[in-house]
Amino acid sequence: MSKKESVTAVGADALSGGRPGRRAVLGGAALAGAGLLAGGRRARAAGRTELTFASAKFFGKETVAQVVESYNASQGRVHVSYVELPPPSDSTDVHQLLVQQLARRNGSPDVFTQDVIWIAEFAGAGWALPLDQEFGAEARKNYFPGVVQACTWGGKLTALPWFIDSGMLYYRTDILGATPVPETWDELVKIAQAAEKSGRARFGFLWQGKQAEVLVCDLVEFVTSNGGAILAPDGKTVLIDEPKSVAAVQFMRDTIDRYKITPEDVLSWDEEPSRRPFTAGQAVFLRNWSYVWTIAQDPKASSVVGKVGVAPLPHFPGGKSAACLGGYQYGVNASTKNRDAAIDFVGWMSSPATQLRFATSLGLAPTRPAVFDDPALARSQPFMQRLKPVFLGATPRPVTPKYAQVTLVLQSAVSRALVDGNVKQALAGAKQRISAIVSS
Amino acid sequence: MSRSVAVGGALRRAPLAFPILLRMRIEAAPLLLLVPTAISLGSVSVYPILDGLWLSFRNTTLATRQDRFVGWLNYRLLAGDPDFWRAWRHTLEFTAISTLAETAIGLAMALLLVEWFVGRGLVRAAMLIPWAMPTVVTSKMFGWLFDGQNGLVNWLLRSLHLISRNIDWYGSPHTALPTIIFADVWKTTPFMALLLLAGLQTIPGSLLEAARVDGANAWQSFWRVRLPMLAPVLLIAAMFRALDAFRIFDLVYVLTGGGPADSTEVLSTLTYKTLFSALEFGYGSALSTAMFATEALMALGFGILIVRSMRRQAR
Repeated sequence: MSKKESVTAVGADALSGGRPGRRAVLGGAALAGAGLLAGGRRARAAGRTELTFASAKFFGKETVAQVVESYNASQGRVHVSYVELPPPSDSTDVHQLLVQQLARRNGSPDVFTQDVIWIAEFAGAGWALPLDQEFGAEARKNYFPGVVQACTWGGKLTALPWFIDSGMLYYRTDILGATPVPETWDELVKIAQAAEKSGRARFGFLWQGKQAEVLVCDLVEFVTSNGGAILAPDGKTVLIDEPKSVAAVQFMRDTIDRYKITPEDVLSWDEEPSRRPFTAGQAVFLRNWSYVWTIAQDPKASSVVGKVGVAPLPHFPGGKSAACLGGYQYGVNASTKNRDAAIDFVGWMSSPATQLRFATSLGLAPTRPAVFDDPALARSQPFMQRLKPVFLGATPRPVTPKYAQVTLVLQSAVSRALVDGNVKQALAGAKQRISAIVSS
Repeated sequence: MSRSVAVGGALRRAPLAFPILLRMRIEAAPLLLLVPTAISLGSVSVYPILDGLWLSFRNTTLATRQDRFVGWLNYRLLAGDPDFWRAWRHTLEFTAISTLAETAIGLAMALLLVEWFVGRGLVRAAMLIPWAMPTVVTSKMFGWLFDGQNGLVNWLLRSLHLISRNIDWYGSPHTALPTIIFADVWKTTPFMALLLLAGLQTIPGSLLEAARVDGANAWQSFWRVRLPMLAPVLLIAAMFRALDAFRIFDLVYVLTGGGPADSTEVLSTLTYKTLFSALEFGYGSALSTAMFATEALMALGFGILIVRSMRRQAR
């Protein structure tokens, strides 16, 4: 209120005086207004380096903005302004906004957060500052290896881990009883078939086969747990048609066609449609993300409260359990004019204390295994604490700057393989098209 | 005030002194009045179309920062792109079947609603509800109705012993597109019925009376009087519908995302994926230009039919 009055007063005085030209007065008033509006912040941020930080919207008991404010309050050198992007459910929009901003190369935003699948794209375009010097091999050991792998492009660390999510196996403790949780896919098939036969469950095993991004996540898990891969670490050699990958996709189809533990409907199901029968008590096993736990324990939404367990996904003989890695990670704009301040800020954001806070008040799981052993986490997020072994198997999706195009080919080819059963041919076709994309 | 007087004076004097200037003024005035419309239409309609056309000759991709003129390359790629042709076929299939079904059912509804019966006003209003619903809501609703495991449709069909086991409506490439077409027909038929009802009401009652006097039965008066009189309206309504159906996006996006096995991928979803997920603006623009060209051809075909039927009626 007082700001407005004083601006008017300046203008009125000058006008009644009649001396200064009209333009000068208007300019003066505008300047005074701008000064007053910015005054509060400038006083607080006097002599501080100004940073902008753009992140997709996350919230829980606290917001990202509140965490950023704590950083501003914790020191006197840097002041960060937070720019809120749409929530991760609108990730296409978040991606677009970031690409438009970063492509301008004007240093704004200085720091941003990105979905793991964009890291290679941004790094390949030269938009992300390599962080190897500041976060060396020792510092990287403090994070889950899968996350570091996803944050690395061309041998350089181009993103700093924020939080993690991954695929995991939900199972019904009441149906399994004394039977140990399956560690191989064979064991899972046997338990699922037995439960279906005895009538204790309508469905043995639910996963997501809709022609969408989630299909690629499921694919990564099946293929990696057979020791296969979609793309070699060089980012150029396509391995999706190798025997191990083919066998894994064949198994995906077999769950529907041969073992009959999965309904054909998964071919049109993404996360939620596959979650509903499980929390309604109709299924033994479900592959899904960590969000299902909260719903499964909510008596209003679930009929399996207290009857659900979580474990790493099974693997094939000779393979290792794999969990498709998701989550947002920090990036520093390569064109930033405040390099040191930006690195100080991301270092603070990725520190154990801040990760613990994100975990306890926003429900975002830490990317540092050590934080999982913190008693504070055990108190406020007992379920999250149990996910440490799951996250140890976190596996990135193919790391390539052309991921957006690669994933569309994979979705189409794997959907085709699952529908018509011609796995080898579909994957050979995918290899050809992906090779053309990554080599161009 | 003084200015307008001056103009008036100039106009009166001009014919003798400056005839050319006067003619220019008279001709320029209406043109000047059109300028605001031209600017607004040009900036929101013509410019984006031309810009899209221009982009389709470049390899603009945001992430790889390519932005070069590549001539006809995008169109050559398009011609050999099986994904494009598949989506193109699905889109035409969707457009043809849904437009035909909506026109036929809409006509039947309109014929019913043009007759007087108790509660006609109420029925006419209620009929519009499906059309008034946001498409995303319709999509979700049809998602539930045709759910493969717990959907109402499967339950009904099973209860009536028409099927022995559940049909996986959205998970099978044979049923996914037909199910989406069904949803679209349910949603948009009322719109067609409304347009055709308006057309039916313009047919003079005297013509129908005359037909009755001549001994025509209801069937004959429909084929010989109503349908020929309705033809131009019918064609215009079908054109609107076909052009709109060609841009089908929300139903597919919500229900199947283009799957399974690309069986429901249509041009809009493919273009969306190319433009906004992969950020390939060049190739994506070539895709949308191809869509635009197909729509223009469709509109041209309908245009010819409409003009013909109008001429026939004028005779």
